Amino acid sequence: MPLGSVLLAFVIGAVIVAATGGNPFSAYAALVCGGFGIGCTQGENPALQISNTIVFLIPLITAGVAVALPFRAGLFNIGAEGQLLAGSIACTAVGIKFSSLPAPILLPMVLISGMIAGALWAGVAGVLKATIGAHEVVTTIMMNYIAQWLLRYLIIGGPLQLAAGTSKSSPIGAGARLATILPNDNSLFIFGLPSSVFRVHTGLFIALAAVAVFAFLLWRTSLGYEIRAVGQSQKAARYAGVSVRRTIIVTMLIAGAFSGLAGAIEIAGVDHNLTDKYFTDTTGFDAIAVALLGLGSAVGIVMAAVLFGALHAGGSVMQADANISGNLVFILQALILFSIAANFVGAIRQRIPGLGRPTALPPQMPPAAPLMTEAATPPAEA
Amino acid sequence: MSGLGDVLHLLITANLWQATLAAAVLLLLPALGGTISERSGVVNIAMEGMMLTGAFFGVAADLAWHNPWLATGVAMLAGALMASIHAFVSIQFRADQIVSGIAINIFAAGLTVFLINRIYGLQDVGHIGQDALLPNLNIPGLDQIPFFGKVLFQQNVIVYVALVLLVLIHLVLFRTRLGLRIRAVGEHPQAADTAGINVFAIRYGAVITSGLLSGLSGAFLAIGISNTFVPNMTDGRGYIALAAMIFGKWTPFGAFVACLIFGLGQAIYDNNSIIHVSPYLLSMLPYLLTLIVLAGLVGRSTPPAADGLPYVPGSE
Amino acid sequence: MVHKRFRFLGVAALVLLVAMACGGSSGGGNTKQYKIGLVTDIGGLNDKSFNHLAFVGLEKAKTDFGVKDDVTESHSGNDYVPNLTSFASKNYDLVIGVGFLMQEAMGTVSGQFPNIHFAIIDGAGTDASGKDLGHTNVQSLFFKEQDAGAMVGVIAGWLEKNGKAKTNAHVIGAVGGISIPPVNHYIAGYKWAAMMEDPMIHVLVGYSNDFTDPAKCKGVAKSQIDQKSDVEFQVAGGCGLGVLQQAGQSGVYSIGVDADQKDADPSVIASALKKVDVATYTAIKNVVNGQFKAGALTFSIANDGAGYSVDNLTLPAELLTELKTVQDKIRAGTLTPPADIP
Repeated sequence: MPLGSVLLAFVIGAVIVAATGGNPFSAYAALVCGGFGIGCTQGENPALQISNTIVFLIPLITAGVAVALPFRAGLFNIGAEGQLLAGSIACTAVGIKFSSLPAPILLPMVLISGMIAGALWAGVAGVLKATIGAHEVVTTIMMNYIAQWLLRYLIIGGPLQLAAGTSKSSPIGAGARLATILPNDNSLFIFGLPSSVFRVHTGLFIALAAVAVFAFLLWRTSLGYEIRAVGQSQKAARYAGVSVRRTIIVTMLIAGAFSGLAGAIEIAGVDHNLTDKYFTDTTGFDAIAVALLGLGSAVGIVMAAVLFGALHAGGSVMQADANISGNLVFILQALILFSIAANFVGAIRQRIPGLGRPTALPPQMPPAAPLMTEAATPPAEA
Repeated sequence: MSGLGDVLHLLITANLWQATLAAAVLLLLPALGGTISERSGVVNIAMEGMMLTGAFFGVAADLAWHNPWLATGVAMLAGALMASIHAFVSIQFRADQIVSGIAINIFAAGLTVFLINRIYGLQDVGHIGQDALLPNLNIPGLDQIPFFGKVLFQQNVIVYVALVLLVLIHLVLFRTRLGLRIRAVGEHPQAADTAGINVFAIRYGAVITSGLLSGLSGAFLAIGISNTFVPNMTDGRGYIALAAMIFGKWTPFGAFVACLIFGLGQAIYDNNSIIHVSPYLLSMLPYLLTLIVLAGLVGRSTPPAADGLPYVPGSE
Repeated sequence: MVHKRFRFLGVAALVLLVAMACGGSSGGGNTKQYKIGLVTDIGGLNDKSFNHLAFVGLEKAKTDFGVKDDVTESHSGNDYVPNLTSFASKNYDLVIGVGFLMQEAMGTVSGQFPNIHFAIIDGAGTDASGKDLGHTNVQSLFFKEQDAGAMVGVIAGWLEKNGKAKTNAHVIGAVGGISIPPVNHYIAGYKWAAMMEDPMIHVLVGYSNDFTDPAKCKGVAKSQIDQKSDVEFQVAGGCGLGVLQQAGQSGVYSIGVDADQKDADPSVIASALKKVDVATYTAIKNVVNGQFKAGALTFSIANDGAGYSVDNLTLPAELLTELKTVQDKIRAGTLTPPADIP
């Protein structure tokens, strides 16, 4: 993980805080407390903070994969949020409709429905890209909005609404719920709090398994080879006999499945119903930063997800304790992105002799692509 | 079907189209900016962030100085500053332009709320009095024309400015030497460089212009239509402007048509008190329409050839 | 002999002084500082109505009772549970949740911390299906918004009936945020009362689907005004300020909500009041006095928890009389505004 970029971002962030009259030290101390439960001074429970961080990072892992995989094929998946929503919607709908089914059947059903919905959502963009070269940035953004409005339609006065006047859905059946890792018991005390307070759920293991699947897929299968070949050069891949069109479509389908899974896990593990929380959810966008920071590797994605999950959890504590707006977290995120994209650290190293060779740009950065690519003229191959 | 009848009935009212034009202009300004930027070869998806930044600083300035014109200038400057970050990172450091664009949007969203907290604390950002907003202006005489008078000549001052800019930018891009240079830089930067055109300067200028235009749109939103700043008040309009730009094949008038379609969607939605179709399903239409139109663009549109590729002098 | 008496007096005076000093600093013998946590809804404290009023109540309690107050703004539905849990886990004396959207979170967290007192405005601690869990550590503060809505509906209806508004086509409008019960109660009372005053009235009801962005509400209001609405009632929090703004620009009347919004725009002729500040203050006062009581507390016209204010327009005497009559009848129970939109 490009640590230099992260550090640089935090330094610039500190300058911004200080320049506007804030105290960067207390801000960052609060972030560390909120994210990792270390050094808390206002009575926050460390185990609770860590639990919150983990809850936030679980969807970021699979969503991060959903962005990282297409990167390898030279595609930019900004539609992870919409695909995630599609997955949440499918998971909820199935979880409500079949709520009486027992867990061994219902749980896989809702998760798979989520993956299918997400895949379809991304597939639209994949097909448009492969056939007529429409840039996935635009098509996936459109799909994001369609998902948003579909969600509103469904839970405000629509078929999934719980009861008149609420803006949320009915809850999914008990069989569709992912168990919490600690017992969901109000009277069992662990770490000084009732164990039900710790919302960490088994979706964590699913997410970790998913990222392992991603790594296996990318490096140990012929499909993965094709994906990477297309990402390096579509022309060369074609000469090598790879069907660029098919690869693009399949890549987007798989990516969508990962995002949809993230959405389904979030419903099955945390919310158990669709709520207005998704009107302002930013997971899909955070996932872009996760994928980039993680340099597209499985371990990197997990570590980056930990960082951003911690930032999210830390943001509320920073607001309450240090009176710095939680939005500083977004500023830091953007700075990290700038830093990686522009390779500031590399440039700094170049200018300061003795700091070592400049590091090259992460090789899996998507080649900067125009908004309609060479695939706009459909190649003669099948 | 009563719902469809309601909508059709609405479509023949002048009020609807008046609202449509205003909503379209809000999208048109950033779309024009994006067009200029992309024509010069720099992918720019940061309109959302530049617009939001412009909106915030426009409101802050207007609250401080009670002068909407000055505030608009501040808003445009703020947009330009955001754009210059994108330009610097993309052109100088040759960063991936899409990543940089997204980073700008995240940065702007975070920075504006962060600054609200720093400057105004937990208090209201404040509302600007009627007298310090960008005014609506009825063009005397012309505004009495039936139907069109209301739609075209009873609008906010910025709408007129935007329509003028639309024509101006079209003329500059396609009928002046400057426009030729911009397009040359976007198509064949190496050849342009050889011919003595300063590629970097043109690109910087184009990106900063997109910032100015997006900032202007932010000012229109915050101190022309609304009277305060609200976190995320641009609500994705910058991204829609991006779609409009592509929809319009990187031409100003093409983008305008697309903006009108999106504006129409917004205007119809606002009428949800009197139409009996689900406003949520209605709201999906502009996006579905974009996808359909994009699907129909096969082979018939190409972006500037060097769009998105950082220029390395002396390469190739 | 003189020395002794003086010395005695001196000691007595000293003892008296010490006694006075001790008595003064302990302020009645109770030195506990209560910690109150307030979790706002996503509208934030800048909405000039709902969350803002809760904050006002909190601040007043801080002045009167010296409580330590902490506020956390929720940025999305994701934050409700963590925010409530954070205060509860730090053993705050009262954790207040603002808003109907927080019900389920309140139900969950109040179950996990049975020894912490909670209060929620506009809701109860519920399970995922919306069923009240009846936790004994949760006090629900409900409002009969329809009472307040009815009062301003009387004004709107009366003005239309007697031709005292701009277009007088017997059309008025209401712009809601999202179609949730607190919003719809207001609109229900408004429509019911307007119909009572003016049988020919037509009430346009629209939703902006937003509680924060004024531009959105402005568009919906304009559409209603284009349909000849003379009075625009905003029920959309911070977004609704755009309704007031549009009314002013179009030269029609507007009505504010929750708090007295007469300064928001000159077109505001009345505001439907929901005394969230009073409710918040009362909840805190109960805790400070050791009188926390679980269950529902309903604020309405009958106990002055809801009402109306007359703002930037001098109303005709007959209208004022009518308002008093209606208010008395509602108070007495002979007139009951409905909770659902007729």
